[in-house]
Amino acid sequence: MKKSFEEKSVWITLVSMLAIFGYYFVVAARMKSAGSTAVVEFVPLFVSVVVLMVVVIVIAHIVVAIASRPEGRDERDRLIEWRAESNASWVLGVGVLAGIWSVATSVDNVWIAHLLLLFLISSEVVKSVSKLLYYRRGL
Amino acid sequence: MSVARAKPRIRNQIRTLRFHHGEMTQKALAAQIGVTRQTVNAIEGGKYSPSLEVAFRIAEVFDVPLEEVFQYGLSADQLVHESVRRRVSHSSEPDA
Repeated sequence: MKKSFEEKSVWITLVSMLAIFGYYFVVAARMKSAGSTAVVEFVPLFVSVVVLMVVVIVIAHIVVAIASRPEGRDERDRLIEWRAESNASWVLGVGVLAGIWSVATSVDNVWIAHLLLLFLISSEVVKSVSKLLYYRRGL
Repeated sequence: MSVARAKPRIRNQIRTLRFHHGEMTQKALAAQIGVTRQTVNAIEGGKYSPSLEVAFRIAEVFDVPLEEVFQYGLSADQLVHESVRRRVSHSSEPDA
């Protein structure tokens, strides 16, 4: 079955998120092991990664939209979105609890910030993967 | 011995109805009922059960009652499977 614009959009988001935030976590781990102890030291890297991701996603969507005209979203796309969001919310919920536990046990701020970020990205990955499965296997 | 119970599902005759309406394309049907071609493909393949509104719109396009487009229940293969399942469960029941 030929992929719809919506499905291609999910692939773009998933691949760029994994590649760009994968790079972020590798660099952040190196910074941490090199002795960075304040969250503010990671902000320039984080901001540049977010800007890069927005640029990559926008350009990729423009290219795909030129190649195949978007048909718009319908009830199936919306239902898939809701179910995928529901799956992702579990991961985000666990992340919030892990964050609270980290604060309660006085874990380093850099670890807490990155733990929350990791769960946020993981929930987005779960959302994208859920969508792709629903598009391929059905609801 | 236990045999899994067959799950009834929604079947449809959209492919046949499209054929009888001048080989109407999925894209043409999608445009008339206000969904994407991929959604028509998913409905046809039994991967998505549409809303009542879309189901009625499909029936309206083909000018047939809803029951001629969608059927709920076991397919012929599933009916055979269910019959075998009942026989097996009856024969494995201990005598009273």
